[in-house]
Amino acid sequence: MGMHRIEQDRARFRDIVRGRLRKDLRRYLTSTELLGRRGEHAVSIPVPQIELPRLRFGDNGGGGGGEGDGSGEGDEQGSASERSQDAAGEAGAEPGTHIVEVDVELEELAEMLGRELQLPRIEPRGDRALKVAGGRWSGVSEHGPRSLRHFKRTYRNALQRTIASGAWDPLDPRVVPLPRDERFRLKRPVEEPEASAVVFHVMDVSGSMGREQKEIVRIKAFWIDTWLRSQYANLEVVYIVHDAVAKVVDQHSFFHLRESGGTKISSAYELLLEQIQARYRPEDWNIYPFHYSDGDNWSARDTDRCIALLQDELLPRVNQFGYGQVKSAYGSGQFKKDLDLALGSDDRLVTASVDDREGVPDAMRAFLGRGR
Amino acid sequence: MSHWQEPEALPQRLEGQRKRIEQLARARGLDFFETRFVMLDATDVNAVAAYGGFPVRHPSWRFGMEWERLEKGREWGLSKIYELVVNNDPAWAYLVRGNSEMEQKLVMAHVYGHVDFFKHNIWFQPTDRSMVDTMASHGALVRALVDEHGHDAIENFMDVALSLDNLVDPWLPMRERLRTPQHSAVRAGAPALDLETVRRRSMVVEEHLPTFDVLGYLVDRAPLLAWQRELLRMVRAEAHYFMPQRLTKIMNEGWASYWHSKLLTGGILNASEIIDFADCHSGATAAPAGRLNPYKLGIELYRHAERRGLDIFRLRRAHHDVTLLDELVDEEFAHSVELFAPRKGPDGKLISWRETKELLLRELSNGGLPRIELVEDNHLQRGELLLRHHHDGRDLDSAAAQRTLAGLASVWGRGVHLDTELKGTPLRHSAAPEALRAAS
Repeated sequence: MGMHRIEQDRARFRDIVRGRLRKDLRRYLTSTELLGRRGEHAVSIPVPQIELPRLRFGDNGGGGGGEGDGSGEGDEQGSASERSQDAAGEAGAEPGTHIVEVDVELEELAEMLGRELQLPRIEPRGDRALKVAGGRWSGVSEHGPRSLRHFKRTYRNALQRTIASGAWDPLDPRVVPLPRDERFRLKRPVEEPEASAVVFHVMDVSGSMGREQKEIVRIKAFWIDTWLRSQYANLEVVYIVHDAVAKVVDQHSFFHLRESGGTKISSAYELLLEQIQARYRPEDWNIYPFHYSDGDNWSARDTDRCIALLQDELLPRVNQFGYGQVKSAYGSGQFKKDLDLALGSDDRLVTASVDDREGVPDAMRAFLGRGR
Repeated sequence: MSHWQEPEALPQRLEGQRKRIEQLARARGLDFFETRFVMLDATDVNAVAAYGGFPVRHPSWRFGMEWERLEKGREWGLSKIYELVVNNDPAWAYLVRGNSEMEQKLVMAHVYGHVDFFKHNIWFQPTDRSMVDTMASHGALVRALVDEHGHDAIENFMDVALSLDNLVDPWLPMRERLRTPQHSAVRAGAPALDLETVRRRSMVVEEHLPTFDVLGYLVDRAPLLAWQRELLRMVRAEAHYFMPQRLTKIMNEGWASYWHSKLLTGGILNASEIIDFADCHSGATAAPAGRLNPYKLGIELYRHAERRGLDIFRLRRAHHDVTLLDELVDEEFAHSVELFAPRKGPDGKLISWRETKELLLRELSNGGLPRIELVEDNHLQRGELLLRHHHDGRDLDSAAAQRTLAGLASVWGRGVHLDTELKGTPLRHSAAPEALRAAS
């Protein structure tokens, strides 16, 4: 009997959880629940323990006596006695609903996202740059180090030679390989399509962008990253914030910074261009800038400057430029109108407005729905 | 992940300690089944624990979920299973590889306490002592049914069956045992019943209404397919097996803790281990204010009984948690145990130890489960079931009750009703049968 049975049971449990996750994905798409839960390859998702319904006491059941795990509910209390390392800790974890954390591969989460929002897979643009990915041990050579000797091939050659030479004796089936029988494994280079992408999250942090607006940006950035990560083997993320001036920041600052003051969007676009020119050649990179703002700009002149930058410099270099306008109490929302008017026909530009969290899925679909 | 094999012998050094502990335990009056210790990695111990102690148990996602929870608890350092012991003859116990020698000694002594308790406590007498084999055959049954009817059908039915598994009469196996003439023969010194007979006896179903043995009634009367009936019978047998552990959690843990403490400080520990032992022991018996730790409450009860000059061996034989607490918790005890310290209730009035005791007894009664009685099987002349919740001040979780009834109705094939109270007013839950998805 194998202990791996428990792994089958866990796999089944995880299937059930995935089913629920899929059903509830909309909720996750509009909440901050998953943020900060992403590791290198997986997201750890808290799910309430799936409980079988039972006739059991409800909320007023405690009555305030020395309640504790002595009067546990529902499930069998373990056939056996178990003890937590820290009695207090276990007791604290006992009542009500247990939360189980289930690791879901990023790949899988992205697949659910793709299905939920009906996102097309991204076709990498332009010529596929080729790269050598180390190669595979798929070749055979007559020369090589002993450590790479291909035993099966070597033996087969020796056997063939022995039989051909008439020295084979079925009653004494000895096969002695000679140096000329030996074969060695050989590495064959394999060419794989280049698949690198860079995402720029550019956020307006001027005084009018409040906490809720930033949360919305945060949720969107999380899901955009999750999706793009599933589409590219290598994804880099650059965070840029701006008010009247722009700078590159780390992830933490991006989500926590609160600047105040005016807004000069062109400063961000200039910095963006500078970054692309210095580090991300469009021949080598799939480039995805996303800009989030409440749509208030310094002046109409600066907006013209932005449009010129987009048209002449940025759009030709990127796969797609996403502009997400988050509704705020102070923003005029003019910037999106201006962009749509000037560049609305350019399908490298996507604009979307988000009124509140509920609008995140639609904005996501707008941003990622073109498969670029 | 390692594979389950015939248990290896314990490392020689530990085996030596085990013998010393066994000898001392027997010398001090404990009497237990042969106990087989198996040493496993922590993750495998968690797996066994997830299966309720039976690595051979039937497959279910619930065990996978429990493993996930235990493993996360271990990885995050929140909780850790020290020991696991299975009521069976021979008993099986699991040691976690990597624990210190002191911890292993503590666990072994603790385990012998449990096995003595399993063997002698009266409520354990009707339990299946070859449960390891029974569970294995249950597992084989479920696997065969999965092959025959498909995974989904079996899983769906099992989920419904398991949601009814607390609708058993905890006292039924004992009543049946007392009713049979063989029992008096045992007392007169005749050879003990063979385990098969005991097991079959515990499966006797009560014929007459009203009954608390709802599950038994369904096994007997519900219009089920043969395999569904078989699974329901299996669920009921497992529920009866686990029930005495529910009824005696405090006594059982108290007894085991009392003895690990007694044995270890009675010659098993080296001087160098005393501090670590004290640390480990006090960790296990720590009770945060207002919370019940069965280890702590149990050990205090036996020590109190000892001070009062009572025979603790007799107590561990004759009682379950409710009767033991009722017998032993007096003013002196209440003053020495924090759980019973006077405290303010929600209305600002002081709650005395007597009231705390009352509350505790009520909470522990019926194994901490609501008392649900099946009173009619032809309600309204329509062949519908009527159940009654014996309300004792604690309301049911309404949403869960409604879902449970829906499952019950699908098993019964006709409507079912449950009379209870909610916030002081009578309430009836009703559910109509939905075709069992499994019935195809």
